[in-house]
Amino acid sequence: MTHQMGVTGSYPLILAIWLLPLAGAVIAWAFGPQLKRQAGMVGSAAIGLAFLATLASWGAAMQNAGGHLGAQQPLGSWLPGFDFGLLLDPLSLIWALIITGVGFLIHVYSIGYMWTDKAIARFFAYLNFFVFAMLTLVLSDNFAGLLVGWGLVGLASYFLIGFWFFKPTAVAAARKAFVINVVGDVGIMFGIFLIFWKIGSLSFGDVFANVHALDPWLFWTCLFLFIGAAAKSAQLPLHTWLADAMEGPTPVSALIHAATMVTAGVYLVARCAPLWSASHDAQTLVGTVGCLTALAGAILGVAQWDIKRILAYSTMSQIGYMIMGVGVTAYSAGVAHFFTHAFFKACLFLGSGIIIHELHDEQDIRLMGGMQKRTPVAFYAMGASVLAISGFPFFSGFFSKDQVIYGALEHGYTWMWAVGLLTAGITAYYMFRLFFVTFFGTYRGELPPESVGVPRQLHDTQQEPHGSNEHAPSWLMAAPVAILGVFAVGAGWIMMGTGSPWARFFANSFPHETLPAPSVSELVTSIIAVAMFLIGALIAYTRYGSSTALANAPARLKSETEKLPAILVNLYYFNELIGLLFVKPAIAIGQFFSRTIDPHLIDGAVRELVIASRAVGTFGRSLQTGLLRGYALIVVFGAAAFAVYYALEGAAR
Amino acid sequence: MILFYAMAIVLILSAIFVVTAAKPVYSVVGLLAHFAALAILYFSLSAEFLGVIQIIVYSGAILMLFLFVIALLSSGVAAFSEGPNRLPKIAYPAAGALAVLLGFLVFAAGKFHAAVPAASKAAVPPVGAANAFGSVADFGRALFTVDLLPFEITAFILMVAVIGVILLAGDATPYVPVRKRQRIVDQEMREAVIREGRH
Amino acid sequence: MPHADLLPVAIGNYIGLSLVIFCIGIAGVLLRRNPLIMLMSIELMWNAANLLFLAFSRAWLNNAGHIFAFLVITVAAAEAAIGLAIVVIVFRNAQNVDVDEVALLKG
Repeated sequence: MTHQMGVTGSYPLILAIWLLPLAGAVIAWAFGPQLKRQAGMVGSAAIGLAFLATLASWGAAMQNAGGHLGAQQPLGSWLPGFDFGLLLDPLSLIWALIITGVGFLIHVYSIGYMWTDKAIARFFAYLNFFVFAMLTLVLSDNFAGLLVGWGLVGLASYFLIGFWFFKPTAVAAARKAFVINVVGDVGIMFGIFLIFWKIGSLSFGDVFANVHALDPWLFWTCLFLFIGAAAKSAQLPLHTWLADAMEGPTPVSALIHAATMVTAGVYLVARCAPLWSASHDAQTLVGTVGCLTALAGAILGVAQWDIKRILAYSTMSQIGYMIMGVGVTAYSAGVAHFFTHAFFKACLFLGSGIIIHELHDEQDIRLMGGMQKRTPVAFYAMGASVLAISGFPFFSGFFSKDQVIYGALEHGYTWMWAVGLLTAGITAYYMFRLFFVTFFGTYRGELPPESVGVPRQLHDTQQEPHGSNEHAPSWLMAAPVAILGVFAVGAGWIMMGTGSPWARFFANSFPHETLPAPSVSELVTSIIAVAMFLIGALIAYTRYGSSTALANAPARLKSETEKLPAILVNLYYFNELIGLLFVKPAIAIGQFFSRTIDPHLIDGAVRELVIASRAVGTFGRSLQTGLLRGYALIVVFGAAAFAVYYALEGAAR
Repeated sequence: MILFYAMAIVLILSAIFVVTAAKPVYSVVGLLAHFAALAILYFSLSAEFLGVIQIIVYSGAILMLFLFVIALLSSGVAAFSEGPNRLPKIAYPAAGALAVLLGFLVFAAGKFHAAVPAASKAAVPPVGAANAFGSVADFGRALFTVDLLPFEITAFILMVAVIGVILLAGDATPYVPVRKRQRIVDQEMREAVIREGRH
Repeated sequence: MPHADLLPVAIGNYIGLSLVIFCIGIAGVLLRRNPLIMLMSIELMWNAANLLFLAFSRAWLNNAGHIFAFLVITVAAAEAAIGLAIVVIVFRNAQNVDVDEVALLKG
C-alpha cells in the first residue's frame, strides 16, 4: 500500500482553499446589516475563489513523489507531538472540489431562494462557515483536525437547520440533529483515544504506517470511528435526524444534507481505508449497516408525501450505498457514488426548491401536479437527475451504483449484491413516483387538501416562511439547477470501462487487491440493475404516470394515503424506540435524582448537618449555665479523672 | 512526729472552720491559723525560707488583702447573705460520687510507700549549716542559677497581675490617652470661646 | 527503702493530710456561694499542694519542690489579687456577691 503522507515542504494554496470561506463567513457576519443581499455575493465569491484555488491545486494533489501522495501545508506544532497541517491528496481533492464546486452553485442559488428573507446575511455567514468547517474536516492531515472539523460541521448544521428559529419544529429538529451528531462525535473521540493510546500519534501518515500496532483493538477502533460516521451519515440506527433536518431552508438541505456533510462518514471510512482493509469484521459490520440503511431508506421513501422528505430518505438510502461500498473495501466505488450523488441529489433538492418557491412554500406532492409547464427548468433537470439516481443506462448514477453493487459481490458479499439490486428497483419506483405525481397531470393545489388525503394541521406546519412575493432574477435559481442537471447526466462518463480516468485518479490512494472473479460478471450485474430499474419505473408509471392514473389522481392519492402501512408512516417506530430506550430512561434517571437523591441525600445531608450542629449547640448551651460552681464541679471531675488515672497506673506498676 | 500530728489536727480543723464560717472575716481568722500551722510544718521539713515566705506573703499580704476587701464591701452587710442555691440537681449525686472517690484516694494515700532514691546522706550538709538543704542560701542558689527563667516569668506574672488589678478595680472611668484627652480639652475651650463670642 | 529518717513521719501521712485539706477546699468552692470564702478555699487547695511539694522535696533531698512551691505562692498571690479585684468590681456593679446571681454568661 502507499502511505498517504504528503510531500515535505509546503503548499500555501491549500490555506487559501481553507480560509477563503472563513473570511466570507466573518465578513457576512460582521457586516451583515450593511451588506444585506450583497452578503450572498460576498459568500458566493469566497466559495467560487476557493473552488478555483482547488482546481489550481489539482496537479499538486496528484503528485506522487517517493511514496508521498499529494501536497501538504504544515500549520506548526500546537502541542508537543501534535503537528497540525493540511493535506490535499486525491481523496480530499475530490471532496474539496464537490464542497466548493457544488457549494458555489448552491450559494448562487441561495441568493435567489433567500431573496426576500430578512436574515439573508446571517444565512450566508452560516453557509460559508459550514463550508469552512467541512473543508477543515477533509483537508486536515490528522485525526485531531478531522475531529475539530467534524464538530464544527455539526455546529454549522445545527445553525442552519434551526435557521428559522421561530419555528418550534425547526428548533426541535436542530436540537435532535445536534444531539445525535454529538453521539457520533463521542464515538470518534473514543476511536481517536484508542489510536493515540496504541500508536502515540494522530497524523494519518503515522497511523496508517502502523495499523498493526492497533491489534487487538483494531476492530474496536473501526467500530468507534464508524459510530461517528453512522451518526453523521444518517446510518441505522442513528438516521432519525436526517428527515427532520428538512426543516432547514431547501439550499441547506441540498448542500449539507445531501451533497456534502452527510457524506463525511463515507470520507472517514475511505480515509481510514488502511484500517478497514486490515479488519474483516469491520468490513462486514459497515457493509451490513450500509446495505440495510440503503434498503430501509428506500422503503421509507415510498411512504412519504413531503417532497423534501422523500429526497431525505433517498439521500439516506444512497449514502447507505456509499457506506456499503467503502465498507466492503470497494473504496473508489463508494467515493464514485458520492461524486455522482452530489450532483444529482443537489439538483433534485434545488429543483424541488424551485417548485416550492413557485407554489409559495407548498411541499406536499399531493398538492402539486402539472408542474411540467410552470417550472420547465426544474422539470428537465430533475428528470435527468431522477434518471441518474434510478440508474438509467449511461446517466451518472448508473456507473457509480453498479460499481458499488458489483464491488460488494467482488468482495464476497453476495447477499449485499442482491439487496443492492432490489434497492435499486425500489429507488426507481419512488423517484418516478415523485416525478410523476409532481410534474404530470393537473395542478391540485386549488383543491381542498383533505380531498387528496392531506390533514389540515400537518399541512400548515410544513411550510417554509418566505413571506413576500418579490422574486429574484429567475436565472439565479435556474442556472445552478441546469448546470447540476448537466453534471447529473454526464458525471459518470469518467468512470466508464476499465482503466477509466476515475480508476487512474485513485490508482495510488487505496490499497490494491487482486480478487478472484465472481460468478456473476459486471455486465450481468448491469443488466440485472437495468432490469430492476425498468420494473420499478414501470410500476411507478402504471400507478402514477399513465393517463388512466392521472385522470383520477386526487381520489387515488387519498385512498393511497389511507392505505399506507402504519409501520412505514411511523418510520419503523425508530423515534419511539429511541425514546423508549434512551430518552425515557434518561428522564427517569433525572427524575430519580431530582426527587430522591437531591432532596434526601444532597439537600438531606445539608439538613442533617444543620440538625446535628443545632443539637450540638443546644447541648453546649445547656453546659453554659453561667454558674461558677457548676464549672468548678466539672473542673474537679477532670482533676479527679487524672488522679484516678495516675492512681490506677501506679497500682498497675 | 507528735508535731506533725498536732499540726495536722490544727490544719484540718482550721480548714473546716474556714469553709464553714458564716462570715468571711471569721474565715480569714481560720485561714491565719491554718497558714501558721503550715509554716511550722514547713520548718519541720527543713524548708526554712518557704516557711518564712508563708508567714510574710500569705499571712502578711494576701490575708490583709482579703481583710481590706471585706472591710470595703461590708458597708452593705446584706450583700454577704447567700441567696437560693441554683446549682442543678444533678450536681448533688455527682458531688457525692466525687466525695466517695476522694475518700478512697485519701485511704489509698496512707498506704503509699514512695520508692525514695537512696540519696547520699553524707552529701547533705548538717542542719544549721550555711548551705544546708532548704536554707536561704541553698534555695537562692537554685533560684538564681538553674531556675532563673521560671523566676523571671514569675516576675512577669506578678506585673501582669498588678496591671490587671489596676485596670479592673482602679478607676471607674475609661482609660483615655493623654493626647486625646488634650484634644478634648482644646475642643471644649474652643466651643467655650465661640459661646462667649456670641454673647 | 524509704529514707524514713529524712522525714518526721512516713510520706503517706503527708499525702493523706494534703488530700484532706484539698478536699475541704473543694468542698468550700462547691458549697459556698460567697466569692470571698470561695477564694479562701482556693487558697487552702494551693497550700495543700505546696505541702506535698515540700514533703516530697525533703524525701528526695531535691529543692526543685521548693522552687515550685515558691512559684505557687507567687501565682496564688496574683490570683488572689485578681480575684479580689473582680469581686470588688462585681459588687460595685451588682451590689451582690452571690456567685449564683452573677450568671451573665448563661447561654
